[in-house]
Amino acid sequence: MKKRIVSLAMCALMMTSVFAGCGSKSASTASASAKGDYSKEITLDVYDDFANYNGEQSGWFAKVVKDKFNIKLNIIAPNVAGGGDTLFQTRTAAGDLGDLILVGTSNGRLDDLVDAGLVIDMTDYMQGQDVVTQYKDAIDAANEGLDGMYAMPYSCSSDSATTPSEGTEPTFGPYVRWDYYAELGYPEVTDLNSLLDVLEDMQKLAREEEGTDDIYAFSFFKDWDGNMMNNAKQPCCMYGYDELGFVLSKYDGSEDISILDEDSPYMDVVKLYYEANQRGLVDPDSTTQNYDIMSSKYAEGKILFCPWPWASKSYFNTQENTAAGKGYEMLPIDDMKIFSYGAYPQGDTSRAICIGSQAEDPQRIADFIAWLYTPEGIECNEQGNGAQGPQGLTWDVDENGKPYLTEFGKKALPSNDVTVPDEWGGGSWKDGVSALNFQCVNLQDIDPNTGSDKYNYTTWESYLADASTPLEEDWSAHMDGAKTTMEYLESHDMLGVAPGTTYSTPTEDSNISTIRGQVKTTIVDGTWKMIFASNDKEYENLKKEMIDTAKGLGYDDCLKIDMQNAKDQTAARQAAKELDAE
Amino acid sequence: MNKLGMSAKKATGFKYFLWILPFMILVFLFSYFPLHGWIYSFYDYKPPRSLSDCDFVGLYWFKMLFSNKTQVAQLIQVMKNTFAMSLLGIMTSIFPLFFAVFLNEIKNKKFKTFVQTFTTLPNFISWVLVFSVAFALFSSNGMVNNFLMDNNFITEPIKFLDSDTHTYLKMLFWSMWKGLGWGSIIYLSSIASIDQELYEAASIDGAGRFQKMKYITIPELMPTFFVMLMMSVSNFLNNGMDQYYVFQNSFNKEHIQVLDLYVYNIGMTGSSYSLATAISMLKSIISVALLTVCNLVSKAVRGETIV
Repeated sequence: MKKRIVSLAMCALMMTSVFAGCGSKSASTASASAKGDYSKEITLDVYDDFANYNGEQSGWFAKVVKDKFNIKLNIIAPNVAGGGDTLFQTRTAAGDLGDLILVGTSNGRLDDLVDAGLVIDMTDYMQGQDVVTQYKDAIDAANEGLDGMYAMPYSCSSDSATTPSEGTEPTFGPYVRWDYYAELGYPEVTDLNSLLDVLEDMQKLAREEEGTDDIYAFSFFKDWDGNMMNNAKQPCCMYGYDELGFVLSKYDGSEDISILDEDSPYMDVVKLYYEANQRGLVDPDSTTQNYDIMSSKYAEGKILFCPWPWASKSYFNTQENTAAGKGYEMLPIDDMKIFSYGAYPQGDTSRAICIGSQAEDPQRIADFIAWLYTPEGIECNEQGNGAQGPQGLTWDVDENGKPYLTEFGKKALPSNDVTVPDEWGGGSWKDGVSALNFQCVNLQDIDPNTGSDKYNYTTWESYLADASTPLEEDWSAHMDGAKTTMEYLESHDMLGVAPGTTYSTPTEDSNISTIRGQVKTTIVDGTWKMIFASNDKEYENLKKEMIDTAKGLGYDDCLKIDMQNAKDQTAARQAAKELDAE
Repeated sequence: MNKLGMSAKKATGFKYFLWILPFMILVFLFSYFPLHGWIYSFYDYKPPRSLSDCDFVGLYWFKMLFSNKTQVAQLIQVMKNTFAMSLLGIMTSIFPLFFAVFLNEIKNKKFKTFVQTFTTLPNFISWVLVFSVAFALFSSNGMVNNFLMDNNFITEPIKFLDSDTHTYLKMLFWSMWKGLGWGSIIYLSSIASIDQELYEAASIDGAGRFQKMKYITIPELMPTFFVMLMMSVSNFLNNGMDQYYVFQNSFNKEHIQVLDLYVYNIGMTGSSYSLATAISMLKSIISVALLTVCNLVSKAVRGETIV
């Protein structure tokens, strides 16, 4: 009898949970609005894994979208909310991730979303849209193994897989306050350790000149920590490595190293940062600040070193500053080989845009998505990634058919705090930049609206001619006359291009992801503690403790999988390279 | 026999039953119904998929908790933190009592009300706001550090928040600051109900102010104190997580991670709902065990049970 009651109870429990799952399964019944009928304003909940802004899109981009589609975008950004996958999990568990979904697809996440019925097949809604014919290969690759068109691809490119996908600046690189470096007399930097010496001198000089003590060589933040401490990974990328789980894999596949290895680049960087902190070169706010606070320091030029051009140059190298000879520029380290992401001829399938199954008006969302892949959409939406913005405001085409930046464009780009004219939506240019942070098409592609130039305005002839500020000229003079960072890196064989592939990591067992979750925390926490350790002995103890705990929790099990994934990725890259050579 | 065919006694019983029915429904909804979530601990639950799509794994997650030394060591550390902070909380639960006693001695009514309001207010501030206050005061460029640096007392900012020194005590300080005034309310009301004749008799016997406190007020408050103590013991493992959640960082995590926070960190950020459910089930079991022990002790010592 007792058993029967128990089993009955279990059944009841099962039923409740089964029903709970039902909500998400029901297919979207909302009828598609006739194409072009945008009379009713709708607000889209946009779940965006890549956004660094949470809340309603405002400013000029919001106006463009509103005028074209009568849509408001309400951005939901896990990056801002923090707590890793929490937001994704709670929202998916509730059966509604969002109306428009921009999501990372690795670890089988796209399959999960499709299986759980959280995203819809947009084949019907996409009929007749240009994007379907123009980026057919990429769309097919993004939906490989799926029965329908659930995902639209990221970073489609007409370049070959071995062409760098970056424009005039790499993604990673040692950027420093060039003016202080120049004042020191351009000392040679042979490796990371000598960079530390130079930065120490620069910090001393900068503090003397500015008369304040809040200038530091390094500043860190914790928001983007994942498998490891994000800031500590960046210099590894300057030596040709990129992360894949707990593995640092070299761009050409020649080396896959466990991050916890005694001689791994990651450990070297941690040691370097520790050394820097011992010498007083690390901003004490590092432990508590977030990306926003840190980037405001870069905007003021108060941090001397930056591993990214887009976090330093973009903020500080304004017309005003560069004219005064101040600004961030890349400082080559003799032994570096900067990791570069190759272009994705078939699109980067690790990120995707989808339409949520609970969406009210899927047709309009599909129209919006299709627009993101049109020249106008790319110019506007990808402005934050380096495109030129809306034609007529920031740029135009001259009588010779060549694109140029307008006076407003020169002031506003890349993302400056400049007031936008009211007819373009008003507000600050910077705040109006698209928060989606999603490059549908690579910016190195040709923008038909410009004639034969790229979306990336920093490659335009008119821009390069204008860009010759005292700062640029000084930098160029010391860089063997190179006009752009990429030009210098390519001519000095300092760029390691990893061919773009459609590889994404497969689904992993949940016991592994559980272990991984715990190990990640151990490594991230351990790294932070090591960098801020008070002496060598403490440093060594913390290091040992971190490695022991990580291994005790099952680090090696995760590593085995990551190593295999790294091998598979290398094979895919090799294949893409060979395809290129043909 | 009435219309429903019940005897008068039965009818009254049924009426009384209807009186408590709403509360039983509430208790069921909020205390028993959520227990169906325990089922997640037996599955390999991955959020986008519904439970029926996931594999049944039996006791896998429970075994995993004890599967290796490091895992167990972490759990032990977490339990240590939980017990330490709960114990500290219980040990300091006498402070609100003293606070109430002393406050009661203040004769200036206005000042007394002011102090009482002023100390009760923090209870209504959420932990998130408390943390932002703490951050504004104690971060590396917070008020305290700026003050000390500007006056050349120190050359480098003191790490109040992002270090692992005296984590338990710091947390205790914050929770006392927040809860002291609130905790004393119940004692103040008990004091008000103490028979005034006792004090008059004591005055006649020549008792001073402190003697009255010692021999009348405090002994009269003891029963209330013990009830409060019992209640906090049964909440031993539930020492909350919001406080520790907002104050946690890479540096103090080792000592700040209490059981609830650990469950959250594993389940939400570490993306394993199933394992987190398993741990929280264990927590319930320990809680029930603690309560039983408490009950037995009470029976042996006081001769009556709590539940």
